[in-house]
Amino acid sequence: MSILPLLIIVPFTFIILALFIHHVRIKNALSLILGLTNFALAFYILKIVHNAGMLKTQMGSWPAPYGITLVADRFSAFMIFISAIVFLAVTLYSIQSIDKERLKNNYFLFTYGILMGVNGSFIAGDIFNLYVWFEVMLMSSFILISFGGEKAQLEGSIKYLILNLISSFFFVAGIGILYGKMGSLNLADLALKFSRIGDFPSLFEPSLILLLVGFAIKGALFPFFFWLPASYHTPPPAVSALFAGLLTKVGIYSLIRIYTLFLHHYDYFWNPIILWMGILSMVIGVITATSQFDFRKILSFHIISQVGYVIIGLAFYTISGLAAAIFFLGHNMLSKTNAFLVAGWVHRERNTLSLKDLGDMFNKHTLWGILFFISAFSLAGLPPLSGFAGKYLIIKAGIESNQIIVAMVALFVGLFTLFSMTKIWIEVFWKNTKNEKNDSEQRIKSNGLPYRYMITASIILALSIIVMGVWAKPIAEFCETAATDLLNNQKYINFVLG
Amino acid sequence: MELILAIFIGILYAGGVYLVLRRSIVKVILGIFVLANATNLIIFLAGGIKRSGEAFIAEGKETVDLATISDPLPQALILTAIVISLGIAAYILALKYRYFEVTETHDLDQLSKTDQK
Repeated sequence: MSILPLLIIVPFTFIILALFIHHVRIKNALSLILGLTNFALAFYILKIVHNAGMLKTQMGSWPAPYGITLVADRFSAFMIFISAIVFLAVTLYSIQSIDKERLKNNYFLFTYGILMGVNGSFIAGDIFNLYVWFEVMLMSSFILISFGGEKAQLEGSIKYLILNLISSFFFVAGIGILYGKMGSLNLADLALKFSRIGDFPSLFEPSLILLLVGFAIKGALFPFFFWLPASYHTPPPAVSALFAGLLTKVGIYSLIRIYTLFLHHYDYFWNPIILWMGILSMVIGVITATSQFDFRKILSFHIISQVGYVIIGLAFYTISGLAAAIFFLGHNMLSKTNAFLVAGWVHRERNTLSLKDLGDMFNKHTLWGILFFISAFSLAGLPPLSGFAGKYLIIKAGIESNQIIVAMVALFVGLFTLFSMTKIWIEVFWKNTKNEKNDSEQRIKSNGLPYRYMITASIILALSIIVMGVWAKPIAEFCETAATDLLNNQKYINFVLG
Repeated sequence: MELILAIFIGILYAGGVYLVLRRSIVKVILGIFVLANATNLIIFLAGGIKRSGEAFIAEGKETVDLATISDPLPQALILTAIVISLGIAAYILALKYRYFEVTETHDLDQLSKTDQK
């Protein structure tokens, strides 16, 4: 019995368990247990994969191209591990931050659904299976984003829903056409068949374009990102944090997987497109972020900008570029989630996230200030935090593959990121607020509610960011091995089909 | 047959896109349903359509004659996709209903409060 199916079975068991439990405290305990179990599982898989290289399970013991394959290589294991950290932290945070009413109505059940979908997508070795996990994840996220039914939330969820459904149609139409042409759904088998064809008759192979557009919408890449800033700031902060940490990253993961397996055969066509999508996401995301005056909206736009970094790392298509992309993806999941967690705390403390109305937080809540400082300046790329290592690797990879201009753009975008993070820092934490009376009222209120769980969650993420920054070398070396495996896709093909 | 089906899918897509671009949320949702069905038909068409029997192995035989059957996999895929779109349809209609209760509007242009300015 292989360990991989447990990544799906465990959350599923907890979903069923959660249906039978009505007590809020037990529900909370249950979700913490799931978070810890999933973390232990992810750690164990990471350890095995680190030594062995890859892990696979053929579901129902059907041999590879016919049955459904679950496969974890180093890249998947890394992503599973990071998302386990994010999930654990957000769960811990939600226990305190989500209101009783939502908790009572099985809020956690849908986060389990998201975990199941995310884990499933990371280990899917079959493109239709990948689609099904996407849908599992999306259905849970649809419910979470509209959960509670506030007015802004409903508006945001209609936009989120419609655009994500359209992306699913692109994805599934692409799968259908691809199957019609190649006669296979197994990713490794598809890669093998693509490599045998050699030069494709038509450069504009429609199924690949459909797949790319589907993933680009899910990953919020340049011309397709509009759903993200319109919806991510509407649900409760813990939900935005979970989405920011996990959802778009799964789209990017799938894009990297598809790209390294078969899209790269036509890299003369795809590389410039991907590169430009990355550059434009990076630049437009960061510039629009600077014009925002809402804590969470700034962070939402930064998701787009940060995804651009990952994509240019992919577009360099060298070992160092891909390694940088993987490292950056991990760093971004941690830092972004933590920034959203702090935003959620600010919202709870002051009941607003508009930068103009906030201020003076650092004097009263030094620890939260430090936590925000760590995640924000990690996003901006200051040493010794993880963002510095990530950006350094991306820019180095750019220079190595003779894309000096792209590397320069990435540097400038980093500068803008620093600008908007400083803006949040000054407006929320340093600025003196004038109306003292309001403040003292707030303080009495906040004394009644110690944010034990919330702050622990944030500290876990902040520590992971620091660890990832200080011990960047072993992690970067791991990413490099992962990137080598990705580029040398013959190994993946042989392993899955063999 | 392929040509007819292809044209039909094209019409469905055109109609779906037209509906999605309408202002009324209900019409957008109907457009989503039409697009979902057009996509299912694409899988069906791409899997190859021909007049043929079921993919069962006849009694007393080890294998199945490939010339007489049609590929069952696209049908299985469509079945999955239909189930998923059914779930989504139920959810999206419930969401629309709730949205109408809260805001009492069908107009997509009223959804501008969460937009970026």
